[in-house]
Amino acid sequence: MRAPPRPLSPSRDLRLDFFRGVALVCIFIDHIPENYLNYFTLSAIGFSDAAEVFIFISGFTASLVYGRLLALRGLLFATVQVWRRAWQLYVAHIFLFVIFIAEVSYTVMTFNNPMYNEEMGVGDFLEHPHVAVVQALILQFQPTFLDILPLYIVLLLIFPLVLVALRRNVWLALAPSALIYAEVQIFGVDVAAYPQGSVWTFNPLAWQFLFVLGAVLGRTDAHRRGPADLLRVLYVPAIAIAAAALAIRLSWTIHGLDDGFPAFFLRQLWPVNKGNLAPIRLVSFFALFVLVAHWVPPQARFLRAAAARPVVLCGSHSLEIFCLSILLSALGHFLMSEIATGLSMQVAVNVVGVCAMCLTAALLDWYRRWQQVPLTPAVPAGSERIGGGED
Amino acid sequence: MGGVRAPVGLVLALAGILAVACPARPGMAAEPEECATPPELMQGDVRLPHLAARVAAHQQAKIVAIGGASTIGKAAGSPDLSYPHQLGEILAQELPQAAITVVNKGVPRQSARQNLDRFPTDVFAEDPVMTIWETGINDAVRGTDVDEFAETLQSGVEQLKNRAIDIVLVDMQFSRSATALINFEAYLKALHRVGDLADVYVLPRFAMMRYWSEQNVFNFDNVADADRARLAARVYQCLAQKLAQVIGRAVR
Repeated sequence: MRAPPRPLSPSRDLRLDFFRGVALVCIFIDHIPENYLNYFTLSAIGFSDAAEVFIFISGFTASLVYGRLLALRGLLFATVQVWRRAWQLYVAHIFLFVIFIAEVSYTVMTFNNPMYNEEMGVGDFLEHPHVAVVQALILQFQPTFLDILPLYIVLLLIFPLVLVALRRNVWLALAPSALIYAEVQIFGVDVAAYPQGSVWTFNPLAWQFLFVLGAVLGRTDAHRRGPADLLRVLYVPAIAIAAAALAIRLSWTIHGLDDGFPAFFLRQLWPVNKGNLAPIRLVSFFALFVLVAHWVPPQARFLRAAAARPVVLCGSHSLEIFCLSILLSALGHFLMSEIATGLSMQVAVNVVGVCAMCLTAALLDWYRRWQQVPLTPAVPAGSERIGGGED
Repeated sequence: MGGVRAPVGLVLALAGILAVACPARPGMAAEPEECATPPELMQGDVRLPHLAARVAAHQQAKIVAIGGASTIGKAAGSPDLSYPHQLGEILAQELPQAAITVVNKGVPRQSARQNLDRFPTDVFAEDPVMTIWETGINDAVRGTDVDEFAETLQSGVEQLKNRAIDIVLVDMQFSRSATALINFEAYLKALHRVGDLADVYVLPRFAMMRYWSEQNVFNFDNVADADRARLAARVYQCLAQKLAQVIGRAVR
């Protein structure tokens, strides 16, 4: 089948799609336990992982896309657009939840190990389904892996406020956000979830800071001298921090495989709190960010290369590919524990999973491009899309 | 196998006689054959200095077992068949001079955090010389943040150490279908790392039960309900044996 012309605007920052794609592939791999490839994902090279990349880029593109809408069509339009996106995420989340319930109900109902019955009941969905489902609908019940979309949804719900603040003054958005983050770090404030005693895995009060930071850097008027100068100043410290983080993290990995190898600062630094976005994660992430901003120009040749294309496509259809990756990793996990854990099974699960993600992204992209071509030449090109970074 | 069993029994009987004859040097627990695990699963340093001192001084010693459903022995149907109770019985035989009692403080469906919240009333109030903390399954099932799970464990271990209470951690139970659904790996790693950093022995229950499952030693498939409880009691017995061996190694 013929491919329609590529609508990619030359100004489009392919880095956003590429690195979001990388994050999605890492999320897939990291979600499969006992997967050797875990040693090579983003979490292996520093204290941050794919979650930071995902949330940061989401904030960045949100501000890029909706900031432009705000300027062109006003607050109400931008707000409705943001909330429509939140609604899409919500529907996707509920879809994943239903699949999760199906998987768990099936497994638990056919479960025949009395030593585990009590423990499996902790999920609570089968004992109090009426409560569990309602709690899931209000995002309070977040089973494993179903925790980052609720965060994203909440962040988008408050995002119109951030947009308005950003338009007036960067500090109007940044200062309250930083204050709330600091409060979490100092007082350990968290957000209660269901069942009683649990908290939001990704504490929205902490992670909003990264999202807002992304939004600040993604402002359409961010291409001024200030940020560029700042980037230059930060280059050397960033190299030092990233190198130190890499060395420490690597030593932990090797220590995990071989006790004899020393794990640097393990006693002092571990565990690094992810739920509350520990400052060391933030620092480690921004060191990588500065390096990427330095080394990879927005239109870098490798981003346009055929080899990078599948990853870029995954990143530009992030919601669909994210949902798919969650399903695929659950399936891969299931296959590996039910059939075989050998190396060949691992290779098969990883390769098939990543290929499925890339092929789906390619298909979606092909479809979207055709969708944008008017059916009859007579129809004026009124269905112009704005941005496109938020799909 | 019948031919092998007789000499093994004889050796064990001799060991039993030796154990009675020289109580200061307890013999190895007479482990049922089905409990056998590869030797590498029983390696690792075990340090229980406070318990060892009590045993050496022939003083009474109390051990508190805190944890979840598998500590209270839910699957076996009675706390008398739980691993802490069986451990108490084995220790009474092996280390009679110390009069060790094992108190069971298992409460089903609790996270590590909820265990920790019970420490003041259920552990410290008992004034034990040693605590066995079995935890992690509910955290993995609920998907608690792994780092928070690790922080909770570290805080608990530190509190026990500050009160001069010896510790053994027990990691998660293994079940094939549960493992297909739930990611235990991260929680196992975290728990073992906490043990490593704090010089606390971790009984690798997950690896042991996985081994038994792979060897088809305890198979719950197609078993009537009454027999399943008996089977669970046998698994608990094996865990009690393993813990008794670990304790025996540390106090010798």
